[in-house]
Amino acid sequence: MRKAARWRNLVWVLPAVLLLCVFCYLPLVQNLGFSLLKWDIYSGRQAFVGADNYVKMVNDPIFWKSLLNNTLYAGISIIFQVFGALVLAALVEGLPSSRWRGTLRAIYFVPSAISLTVAGLLFYFIYEPRMGILNAALETLGLGNFAQAWLGQENTAIFGIIAMSQWQGFGYCTLLFAVALQRIPSELFEAASIDGVGPVRRFFSVSLPLVREMSSLMMIVTVSGAFQVFNEVMVMTTGGPNNSSQVLGTWLYRSGFVRNDFGYAAAIATAVFVITLVLAVLQLWLARRRRVEW
Amino acid sequence: MRKSTHMMTALLAGTALALTGCTGGSQTAAQLDLQKEPEYSGTVSILTKFGGDPLEPYFEDLAAEYTKLHPEVSFELIQETDQSIKDKTKTLTASQALPDIYFTWAGNWANNFIDGGLAADLTQAIAPGTEWGSTFGESSLKAFEKDGKYFAVPLYNNGKFMGYNQKVFKDLGLNPPSTLEELISSCSVLRGAGYEPIAFGNKDGWPGLHYLQQLFAYEVPAEALEADFHPETAKLDDPGYLRAMQQFTGLINECTGSGKDSNGVLYTSAQQALATGTAGMYYQEVLEFDTTASEGSQLKNDGLGIFKLPASAAAKGDTKAIEGSPEGYLINPKSKNAALAVDFMKFATSKENATKLSAPPYGQPSAVKGVVSEQNSTGPVVEGIKQVNEASEAIIWLDSVTVPDVADAWLAGGEALVAGSQSPQQVLDAVRSASNAAK
Repeated sequence: MRKAARWRNLVWVLPAVLLLCVFCYLPLVQNLGFSLLKWDIYSGRQAFVGADNYVKMVNDPIFWKSLLNNTLYAGISIIFQVFGALVLAALVEGLPSSRWRGTLRAIYFVPSAISLTVAGLLFYFIYEPRMGILNAALETLGLGNFAQAWLGQENTAIFGIIAMSQWQGFGYCTLLFAVALQRIPSELFEAASIDGVGPVRRFFSVSLPLVREMSSLMMIVTVSGAFQVFNEVMVMTTGGPNNSSQVLGTWLYRSGFVRNDFGYAAAIATAVFVITLVLAVLQLWLARRRRVEW
Repeated sequence: MRKSTHMMTALLAGTALALTGCTGGSQTAAQLDLQKEPEYSGTVSILTKFGGDPLEPYFEDLAAEYTKLHPEVSFELIQETDQSIKDKTKTLTASQALPDIYFTWAGNWANNFIDGGLAADLTQAIAPGTEWGSTFGESSLKAFEKDGKYFAVPLYNNGKFMGYNQKVFKDLGLNPPSTLEELISSCSVLRGAGYEPIAFGNKDGWPGLHYLQQLFAYEVPAEALEADFHPETAKLDDPGYLRAMQQFTGLINECTGSGKDSNGVLYTSAQQALATGTAGMYYQEVLEFDTTASEGSQLKNDGLGIFKLPASAAAKGDTKAIEGSPEGYLINPKSKNAALAVDFMKFATSKENATKLSAPPYGQPSAVKGVVSEQNSTGPVVEGIKQVNEASEAIIWLDSVTVPDVADAWLAGGEALVAGSQSPQQVLDAVRSASNAAK
C-alpha cells in the first residue's frame, strides 16, 4: 500500500519534474556543452575547444570589470534593499495610524509595479545631461557644480543604474518586510515596552532576529538578482561608455550577439550560474544555522 | 559514493547530448534556378529594417499590392529598427530560422552570411549586364559582390553628410566649409550667436564611429585602410589614425554642445536639435534627411543644406571618399519560396516602387538608376546621392566593415575619446590588440 502511494505521488509530480528537466536543467547542461565549443552561427560549425573559453574569460579584463560591477550592485542592494527596507518597514509598521501605514506601503510599492524597461527609460531621461531633471534640480538648488552626464561618464554610469535599481526594488522589499514584521506576535513588543526598551533596542533585539528568515530570503533574492541584472543596463547604457557599466549579463549578451562568440558567451553564462548557485547555497546554509523559533 | 556516480553519469550524458551538435555544419546551399518561373502561392517571410515611423507602411503596402496581383501569395513581415535588427537577425541565424528575404549591411556583415551559405547566389539574375542588374547602379551591386558572385538586392543607397540650417548659416554669413579647419572656426561663430554648433549624441556609440571612419578615410591611405579592416593583413600603424582621432576629439570639444557629456545624449536628441533650429549642424545619413527636415519642422522652413564632412587641409588619404554604402536584402537559399522571393524583390525594385521609396515620407534613395530626381525626392536627398555617386570610393561603416571584435574595440575607443578618458594612442593600442587576437 505504501509502495502504491509512493508511485502515485511520483506520477503526480512527474509532469512538473519533466518540465523542469526540459526547460531548466537540460539547457543548463547544454550551455555547459556550448561553453566548450567555438561556434560559428553562420556556418553552423562547432569545434570542441576544451577549456579555451574559460581561459579567455580569466584573462578578459572586461569580464572582471563586469564581475566587479555586479559585486558592487549586490553590495549596494544589500545595504538599501535588505537593511534599508527593513528599517523603513519597521518605521512604517511602528506608525500608530493604520491609514498612514497603508498609504505609505502603497507609495513605496508603486515603483516595483513599473517594468524595468520603462523605469530604465524614465531614469535615462532623468539623468540626461542637458534636459534631464536631475541636473536641472541641482542647478536650482545651487549645486550646479555637481551636474554632469551621469550615464555618459565612466566613473558614474554604473552608480546611476544601481541607484535606479534601488529606487525600484526598495518598495517591494519594504512590503515583504512589513508582512514579516506583522507576523511577529504583538506580545513580544508589549513585553519589551513594559521592560522599558526603546524603539531602537526593540528593533535590534526583537524585530531583527524574528525576521531573520525573511532577511535571508531577501539577501538571496537581491544578491542573485544583482548577478543576473540585464534589462536596466541595456536600456540605460548598453554597458558603456567604454564598457564601464558592463555587467555579466550584458557582457554575455555582447559576446554572443555582437561579437559572434557564442561559446564564450556560454562560458560567461556558466560563471553566472556557478556564482549565483554558490551564493544561494551559502546563504541558505547560514540562514538555517541561525534560524530562530518562537 | 553512489550519489556522486549518478551525478557524474548524468553530467556526462548531458554533456554528450549537448555536444551531439559539435560535428554539425551547414551544407552549402543548393544553386537556385532563378530562371525558373515562380509558383505564385504560399507565404513569403521578410525581415526588414523598416520598423517604426515613417518607414513601416512601405513594405506593408508592397506586400498588399503584390497580393493583389497574386492572390495566392501571402506575407509574413518582421519589421525591426536599426538597433534591434542586429539581434533579431543573429537569433534567427543561430536558431536556423532565417526568413525567405532578410536585410543586410554591406561589408563583413553580409560576408558572414555569404560565407556561411546563408545567402543565395543571385549572379544569374542580378549581375551587371543582366536585365534586372542593369536597372541598378553598378557600385551598388558591387557592394555585395564576393569572388565574382552577386548576393544581395541593393534597395537604397546611403552616405553620411553634415546637414546644416541654411537660414542660420546665411544670417551669420557662413558658407559651407571646405576644410576641417574652416568647419571648426565656423563653430565659434555659431556658438557666439547662441546656437549649438554641431548637435551630437553618442549614447549608442556608433555616431562617433561614423565621424572616425570618415576621418580615417581622409587621413589613412586607402590601401592601408583596406588592409587594416582584415585582421590577417592589419597593421594599424599608420600615423593617420592618430591624426584622425585628434581631429575627432577637437571637433567634439570645440564644436558640439554636449562635448565630453555626449555619451549620455541620444542621437535622436541631436537630430531633434537640428530639426528644431537650436543647432547649426548635425552629421547624418541621407536616409535621415527627410525625417530631420520633415513637413512642418523648423528646419524644413529654414532649409536643410548638406556638405561632406571636410578633410583637413593636410590630409594624407583619399579626400574624395565618402562614408556610406548601399543597404540590401539577401535571399535565403534554403527557402522553399526562393524563386517567389526573388520575384517579390524584382517587384520591390521596379521603377514605380523605387520612386515611391525615394520620395517623402520614406526618403530612402533607391539604388535603382535614374529614380532619385528632383521630381520625386527632396533637394538634399538628390544632392546627397549625386555626391555619393561622384565619390571616389564608398567607405563602409566602421562597425560593419571589419570583424566584430575589432569593431567593438573601436566602439569602446570612440566612447573613451569622447569622454576624454583615453588618448588616441591608447585607443589605437586597444584596437590593435583586438585585431591581433582576432587573427
